[in-house]
Amino acid sequence: MTAASTIKTWYWIHKWTSLVCTIFLLIICLTGLPLVFHHEIEHWLDDAKPLSNVPANTPPANLDKLVASALTMYPGEVVDYLFFDPDEPQVYVGMAKKPGDGQASGHAVRMDGRTGDVLLEGPLYTEDKFSFMGIMLALHVDLFAGLPGELFLGFMGLLFCVAIVSGVVLYGPFMKKLEFGTVRAARSTRLKWLDLHNLLGIVTLVWAFVVGFTGVINELSTPLFRLWQSTELVRILEPYKGQTVPTQLASAQLAADTAKKAMPGNEVSFIAFPGNAFGSPHHYIAWMRGDTPLTSKLNTPVLVDGRTGELTTVAKMPWYLTALEVSRPLHFGDYAGLPLKIIWALLDLITIVVLVSGLYLWIARRRATEARINELVKKHQAAAAPQRNPA
Amino acid sequence: MSARHTKGRTGRGFMFVWGAPILLGVLSVFGLLAALLGTGAWHWASWITLTILLGVIVRYWVFPLKH
Repeated sequence: MTAASTIKTWYWIHKWTSLVCTIFLLIICLTGLPLVFHHEIEHWLDDAKPLSNVPANTPPANLDKLVASALTMYPGEVVDYLFFDPDEPQVYVGMAKKPGDGQASGHAVRMDGRTGDVLLEGPLYTEDKFSFMGIMLALHVDLFAGLPGELFLGFMGLLFCVAIVSGVVLYGPFMKKLEFGTVRAARSTRLKWLDLHNLLGIVTLVWAFVVGFTGVINELSTPLFRLWQSTELVRILEPYKGQTVPTQLASAQLAADTAKKAMPGNEVSFIAFPGNAFGSPHHYIAWMRGDTPLTSKLNTPVLVDGRTGELTTVAKMPWYLTALEVSRPLHFGDYAGLPLKIIWALLDLITIVVLVSGLYLWIARRRATEARINELVKKHQAAAAPQRNPA
Repeated sequence: MSARHTKGRTGRGFMFVWGAPILLGVLSVFGLLAALLGTGAWHWASWITLTILLGVIVRYWVFPLKH
């Protein structure tokens, strides 16, 4: 293949992978902007009661107290999970009409993790989807289409990654005679935006590829968890095969203590109760996080017998779930405070400019080609006219 | 054209095109990982290196090179 035809092939790949994913990537980038600041926005829109004014060293409340309080508030329902906020001393008690029904009938009660005071009775998840942040999240993650939407947007993310790689291949020949950063602003508008497209694209290359690729991994989170449940978890649960969700559950506090004893130096970040859709029918699954910047992002599942509260096993995280967990902070940009979030948002805005300029360049090139074809047709007609009408 | 001449031109050409993008790529990787692997000074290192990317864009977009 000659150099010219290689460039043509890469140009074709870059054009079509970009064109197909651009609209969806624009939706993802635009909805990603408020999502970068979701913590701040949710804090601002939050109508929960403030945390109790207690000394900083107040120990955490007994989890059984929180569970009992939530069950009293919602008689007839079951506790689905406990989520421990890593930033504030508060606990989200997830409730559902029956075990495993969290996605359909789930809602959460937010409680002060030290006093057990109820801070907020959250709406049903199905209703929360239509709050401002819920709409942003749904458009960003699945376009309100559930798993098919997640897989579709994951595929769009993959096309975006291919567009980036093909863009890098094209950057070389384009920039052979131009100094880095050249923006020929005095020439035509199309040339100016071609240079800007190249400049912004190459400067944000690594960031855009990392955020795009980790986005693809995140879109696969549901099938990856299902894979873990249907392979490794099945092996662990083999001795419990055929058993239903225990009617009498062991203490949640005992389950948390057992998990902490099994993994000293780790904190409980999430407890899936027996029957949780992403857990085990017979176990509490306590997800434990480490105390270093990196290990605090990595969760290890500890299985605790739902009836006795005894340790069943510390499950080894499969590589694909480790990859998923590492990919999350690198996609969200929420791992180094507000300055990183601001940088993330600015890089997101630049990516929007790259996408829009790419679209503009395609339209402008089509127009230029059409104009050139029209010109050639006119010339051809003018040349042919005297022959048709001889004097 | 001699082989030595060709090699010399190719070498210069590669860094002419790819020198700055490689440097920016290394800075991006460092900036992304620094805050993931440490706190305090590492956060600052991350903010600074990623801000350099924004600085490069402002430099060349707002103040284009004179030809």
